[in-house]
Amino acid sequence: MKKLLVLLIAVVFGGQMYGQTYNTFEPSKTQFMLRGYGHTGFEYMDSGDETESTFLGAAFAPIFLYKHSDRLMFEAELEFVLEGNELETGLEYADVMYVLNKNMIARAGKFLLPFGTFMERLHPAWINRLPNTPLGYGHDGIAPSSGIGVELRGAFDLGGPTLNYSVYATNGPRLKDGSEEPEEAGMLLFQNYEDNNLGKAYGGRLGLLPFSDSSIELGFSAYTTANTGQEDSEYEDVGAFLFALDFSLVKQISGLGGIVDVKAQYNNSNVDTATYFELEDGVEEEYSFDNQSNSFYGQLSYRPTMASSDFVKKLEFVGRYSDFNAPEGAEWEEKSVQYAFGLNYWLSWRSVVKLSYQTTETEGGHDGDGLTNTDGLFVHWAIGF
Amino acid sequence: MKTIYKTVIGVIVMTIVGITAVACSSTKKGYTDVPDTATAAAEEEFKIEKSGAQMWGEACNRCHIAPSPADYNDTDWETISLHMRIRANLTENESKKIEEFLKSAN
Repeated sequence: MKKLLVLLIAVVFGGQMYGQTYNTFEPSKTQFMLRGYGHTGFEYMDSGDETESTFLGAAFAPIFLYKHSDRLMFEAELEFVLEGNELETGLEYADVMYVLNKNMIARAGKFLLPFGTFMERLHPAWINRLPNTPLGYGHDGIAPSSGIGVELRGAFDLGGPTLNYSVYATNGPRLKDGSEEPEEAGMLLFQNYEDNNLGKAYGGRLGLLPFSDSSIELGFSAYTTANTGQEDSEYEDVGAFLFALDFSLVKQISGLGGIVDVKAQYNNSNVDTATYFELEDGVEEEYSFDNQSNSFYGQLSYRPTMASSDFVKKLEFVGRYSDFNAPEGAEWEEKSVQYAFGLNYWLSWRSVVKLSYQTTETEGGHDGDGLTNTDGLFVHWAIGF
Repeated sequence: MKTIYKTVIGVIVMTIVGITAVACSSTKKGYTDVPDTATAAAEEEFKIEKSGAQMWGEACNRCHIAPSPADYNDTDWETISLHMRIRANLTENESKKIEEFLKSAN
């Protein structure tokens, strides 16, 4: 019995002593982090004939960061959204990144595309100043948000101004030829997980911050491919060229007692003209159209950070204009204009409650040929972690 | 479309080659190497370099409100700094100085 007790004491205290001796509590060389964001809210929409109000199921987007060394890192973001009485899941991005030198970083995998800045930098709910995206983004949007491929990116210090760049090659978009959804013939589908042809899409962005205080950034992005259709189909050689111009101004202005934030982006999409088919009274008819689309948004926000009241300091006033023009003659022809206004309250630097009103005028689109006015009231709560 | 496509491919290839040449030809370690001459020392004396705190305010606020240094520990800031360097296309100098500031202020 004594021997057993001595053995137990030796194991218990010996283990502790060993641990205290050799565990230096230094951080490991590899590091893993779980970050991300979530949001929830309430929406009231009135489009004249139809009125709806609903609490929104929470959306949850965990981001996994694995830093293998000072040069090598992996990032991935999942997305869980309750929509249409279903749980939708998605892989926003998953890519490996390697720092080649001080001016160049390589990425490979599925990554957010630097086509402008909105989708790459500004779309997460805790960053976006309004509860939804401007017209022309998201589902049926013309701006690509992510791609599967490889990328080189980096930045140069020009002794005051800075220049950043990115160039990439991805699978590129897939052309909807109308065989499955005739009303969407001619649209580009950017979720091209397995390439449908041998052609790849090439693109990039150049960003210039001309002033030493980095308050202004001007960007130009281009994205092109020679093949969008299914291999060996008549649409295989339908090419596309897209470009975007973006602008950002963030500056604390003493005269205004706070921070002014201006963001703007113009997107243009030009897809080669092709012949599509539609059923008219049971008869198949050919049609084609000049497949050019564009969208624009401009947003102004102001935070009175120099106010004496703590409550007022945390407020933010936002206004946004956006428009979207889909090709004339397409089944999805559309002209939309949207005005959005918002009042935000920042609980912390990464948690915001947004109250927003927006009005959208749509001519055409999926819902019909007529003119539709939709007014919406939104209350959203977003948190980053 | 073919012409536009070829032009863009050409521009991209030239950009990659140019950037690669410039990036790889630079052997400077960073922003501290100063030739040991009187002129260079005098120039360095008058060079105004932004602090990490200033860069933290400028770079982070371009997209989101600048984070509180106290919200993460040193190890976490190292991971976040590398991630944000890549995501926001920051220069190496910006990323390093911001990280140093955050680690010193948390």
